[in-house]
Amino acid sequence: MGGLSSTSDLVQIDETSWEIPAAARADMRVPARVFADRELLEAILGDQSLEQLQNVATLPGIVGAALAMPDIHQGYGFPVGGVAAMELPDGVVSPGGVGYDINCGVRLLALPLTAAELGNRREPLVHELSRAIPAGTGKHGPLGLSRSELDRALQEGPRVLVERGIGREEDLARTESQGCLPGADPAAVSVRAHERGAGQLGTVGAGNHFIELQVVDHVFDPAAAEAFGLGEGQLTVLVHSGSRGLGHQVCTDYVRAMDAALARYGIVLPDRQLACAPASSPEGRAYLAAMAAAANFAFANRHAMADAVRRAVARVLGKQAAEAARQVYDVAHNVAKVERHDGRELLVHRKGATRAFPAGSEEIPAEYRAVGQPVFIPGSMGTASFVLVGRPGSMARSFGTTCHGAGRAMSRTRARKQIGGAELRRQLEARGIVVRCPSNKGLAEEAPFAYKDVERVVEVVERAGLAGRVARLVPIGVVKG
Amino acid sequence: MAHRFVEHVGEVEVELEADSETGIFASALAAFAELVGAGEGGEPAVHVVELTADDPPLLLVEWLNELVYLAEVEQFVPERLAAIDLLDGRLRATVAGRRAAPRHLVKAVTLSRLELDRDGARWHGRVVLDV
Repeated sequence: MGGLSSTSDLVQIDETSWEIPAAARADMRVPARVFADRELLEAILGDQSLEQLQNVATLPGIVGAALAMPDIHQGYGFPVGGVAAMELPDGVVSPGGVGYDINCGVRLLALPLTAAELGNRREPLVHELSRAIPAGTGKHGPLGLSRSELDRALQEGPRVLVERGIGREEDLARTESQGCLPGADPAAVSVRAHERGAGQLGTVGAGNHFIELQVVDHVFDPAAAEAFGLGEGQLTVLVHSGSRGLGHQVCTDYVRAMDAALARYGIVLPDRQLACAPASSPEGRAYLAAMAAAANFAFANRHAMADAVRRAVARVLGKQAAEAARQVYDVAHNVAKVERHDGRELLVHRKGATRAFPAGSEEIPAEYRAVGQPVFIPGSMGTASFVLVGRPGSMARSFGTTCHGAGRAMSRTRARKQIGGAELRRQLEARGIVVRCPSNKGLAEEAPFAYKDVERVVEVVERAGLAGRVARLVPIGVVKG
Repeated sequence: MAHRFVEHVGEVEVELEADSETGIFASALAAFAELVGAGEGGEPAVHVVELTADDPPLLLVEWLNELVYLAEVEQFVPERLAAIDLLDGRLRATVAGRRAAPRHLVKAVTLSRLELDRDGARWHGRVVLDV
């Protein structure tokens, strides 16, 4: 595994893309390509993420190139910010190419008032959000689903919650894949995964997951912003979470199963975590059924939290404000989906990457079809987040994909050495950001300086033609696990 | 027996060292206990763990996965290895700890950069945890 140490190890394709040719390693089937400017690329070369991207380029059935978004960083097996499209039926599916937090993603709600109208109710609102949504390690949610209701959520996603009066029908339409990946099979989800997820619906979890109260501080694309129901000064709430322990266990179970099956399929890997099997094999089909179930659980999880956000809004700002709180959209960051690109049926793995289909796609809700799919890019805590819109370049260059966040630049350990949680909390509050987080250690690990510059990341995807900036959102309150 | 957390941008990587293979498993438990931690209190508790795997590194992963599960579902915070038997890919261990809310959770134990090997009289291991 020859290490990459400088930009001279890559071929510059244009101002925002670089390539490691397939000939760089004997086992690579396609090139490895990264979207970045020179400064981001220098930072990316500081960890092992491009070597991991080369490893992805060795997987059977991969087409085009193993792709990396500008927020790429070192993960396990696949890099975070990686995209790999496999030709069906016999290209492989790799659970590690989706990750443990299956369908980790974000949902944006637009509130019907401005920061000025919120006035001194900001702190009460953040406090109420922290009371309404359990955060932290293994916290149990308020829903108490029976086993059969949980299995329906795995099969159908948040629709089962709408039937119980939780959330709205219109929320389903404004969710990627209408909140339900096809082919989900609860029977493919282990008992242990059921146990880990059973009480966790409606909980945000820990790590980098959060609920953020924000203000739209700048609109870049007025037409798209209007279509998404966003205007300058408006309040928004961004919910970031995934499939919790259920998804973690699904990935664990199927990495194990595929690791055991590698020899049977004659697959040799440079990293054991890339364990995979042909998508058409019994192992591949079972994983895709379980992954879809975990993804539907994650859609339901964010749906339940969005309902809790509306209830918190009702308590602090009144019933009318809650009723007018509108879900803009919900997007997945960690998922594998069957899609058609250039006339081929492909299984597109996105790990820490967001689908970003352009205007005209039938996959986009009708009300957004003229402008393109909304994409939400959370910044690091305390910095701006962005609303983007899918552009045609994404279909031509990245299997309809863009970045998913700022991307870590520093380990959690180093972040903790640089700042204590209490000090970070003081700094954020001095900047007018209300913080609710049960763990000072967890807070310090997510310090803004531990991430790349989100403004630069979104500028690259815009210049690359993958997505365009619609609005910038700045935080005024954060609830972290 | 020792463990050391090494720099990893995205996750947590742990290096393990011991003078025996069972020592590696004890060292992994110590690293896990340090990661998840818990405040004061909680009833003492004991869990017996029985596992099998196709190879020693995978058994190390299964061992930690069991601790992940017990912490999340049983709210069991491990403190020490009371007993361990390891033979031919089979592990039987008694883990002593407390029933208490962990301060942190580990999502999963990955196979990335996984190692469990012997170098002369010393054993060493490496594992990357998704946190």
